[in-house]
Amino acid sequence: MTNPIFWVGVLTLALIYASLAMALNVESGWGGMWDLGIAGLLASGSYCYVILTAGPDLDMRFAPGLSMWVAWPLAALFTGLVAFAIGAPALRLRREYFLITTLAFAEIIRQLVVIQADFTRGTVGIPNINRPFDSFVSGREYNYVLLAIAAAAAAVMYLVTRQIGVSPFGRTLRAARDNEAVALALGKRVNRMRIQTFVLAGVLIGATAPVYLFYIRAISPQLFAPGITFTVWTALVIGGIGSIRGGLAGAFVLIVFTEAVGLIEVDPAHINILVAIEPFLVGLLLVLVLRFRPDGLFSERTAFGAGGRSNSRARDPRPAEPAATSGG
Amino acid sequence: MELVLDAVRKTFGGVVAVDDVSAVMPQDQITALIGPNGAGKTTLFNAITGFDPPDRGSITFGGRRIDSLPPWRVAEMGLIRTFQTPVGFTTLTVRESMLAAATPHFVETPLGALGLTRRGRGHERVAEGRADEITAELGLADLLDVRTDELSAGDRKLLEFARSLMAEPKMLLLDEPAAAVAPANIGRLSQLVRRLCDERGLGSLIIDHNLSFLMQIADEVHVLDRGGLLASGPPAEIAADPEVMRVYLGTDGAGGDGP
Repeated sequence: MTNPIFWVGVLTLALIYASLAMALNVESGWGGMWDLGIAGLLASGSYCYVILTAGPDLDMRFAPGLSMWVAWPLAALFTGLVAFAIGAPALRLRREYFLITTLAFAEIIRQLVVIQADFTRGTVGIPNINRPFDSFVSGREYNYVLLAIAAAAAAVMYLVTRQIGVSPFGRTLRAARDNEAVALALGKRVNRMRIQTFVLAGVLIGATAPVYLFYIRAISPQLFAPGITFTVWTALVIGGIGSIRGGLAGAFVLIVFTEAVGLIEVDPAHINILVAIEPFLVGLLLVLVLRFRPDGLFSERTAFGAGGRSNSRARDPRPAEPAATSGG
Repeated sequence: MELVLDAVRKTFGGVVAVDDVSAVMPQDQITALIGPNGAGKTTLFNAITGFDPPDRGSITFGGRRIDSLPPWRVAEMGLIRTFQTPVGFTTLTVRESMLAAATPHFVETPLGALGLTRRGRGHERVAEGRADEITAELGLADLLDVRTDELSAGDRKLLEFARSLMAEPKMLLLDEPAAAVAPANIGRLSQLVRRLCDERGLGSLIIDHNLSFLMQIADEVHVLDRGGLLASGPPAEIAADPEVMRVYLGTDGAGGDGP
């Protein structure tokens, strides 16, 4: 039915989504900033990388033809700049308003890519993106190289985000998410920390963008429709928003599940039904996970300080406090 | 050093919540702010700490204007407040809450988190020591690893106070610190507030409805009624003031739980 190369590809995609979900977790899980603009940031990093590495053969207005090892970090930094430009106005808003604004910015970025065709080749897109070590390994074997690159990227992402999470910075970020007023009353520069976090997530997403391109091989604006943002979010929610390993676990479950659904053998006449039913099944998976593990596969509760312990003193058989006094 | 209010006024729509209040509160003494519900006590706290700046008048601390500063700047100057409803950092443990309060801002950066700057190394260990000390003193030591949302209301109230001590305050603003706290712990609380004032010159401005608690520890009492300052003076004098008792207890000084 399938060959190992297929599953190598699935794992590679899962690792890329895992990286994105772990980056999202820093801003949305710990920072409490519900960002629906992942696609826009990914587009910024991807197009920055593609344009910087483009050669003269592509007939683009700006094609410096930089080495991919130079373009990669520049793409990450550029995405951080884009995140700053979005975050500076959007972070004046809270919750749903912030969420809608980031979604809108992502769409604006996608439309800019379409309009600025001189620089981006618009809807035509760019095929055959150069990939690292492409000349040494050929054909199907390259999939293993790509898997290694994606695994290395996910490992770095895991280490970086974990370090953020357990640091005093991450702790105060979670504190300000829980109670902004108390954080302010303790002298926390909440707004500054949020914009720093938003930019950091942008840099991390921008750094992942080239790996995504190596996998996709060709770039066009349709790739960066909002769907990709929701896939990353679904992975994070399944894995456990606010936990350290959640993004990693959730992306594996989601991507392997989605790809496995695609493998169901049906009569070619009914293939459109299978395609239609796939998002339904993904939704069902999400509902089931949330029904039986509301915090996701990994929980923030077990990730930090409390380590899953609960208050033994509060569970003493002493008389329960009247509900009215536990107010607030 | 002192906290000075000069003709502070705050209105919400047509309602005058704080009406030309002027007062001087020395940073190294305990000042109580009492008054019936709706007198404007918490509004005054919000005005002082930058959460809800006054419409008119000025507020200075140590000679510097603070009435147009954001809350975190007021806090950095050493005015640390607590909240009437002790919600706190719901998902953080007691220890995490204490440490978060103590961490200086230059440690709380992404670069610091990734170990790319060396500033503030070792700070965490010092803060842990202080957190142990303070929680032990308030009877919270065995709750260090418990999440804030699993604490009883009384323990959350004590944490509210304990946390504010971690933020290197020059003066505390405590909004009903004794409410919902078990009577045995109120004794601990008032002793600590008094001792911090006597030994370290850390004064407080305290709102509470527990008059016996306040009258014991306060050096001076301000009585607020319908947004205005009704009386100011040492506790004994205020307790003997028939007008204050009438306003505060809604009686003519007889009955109720008056002194």
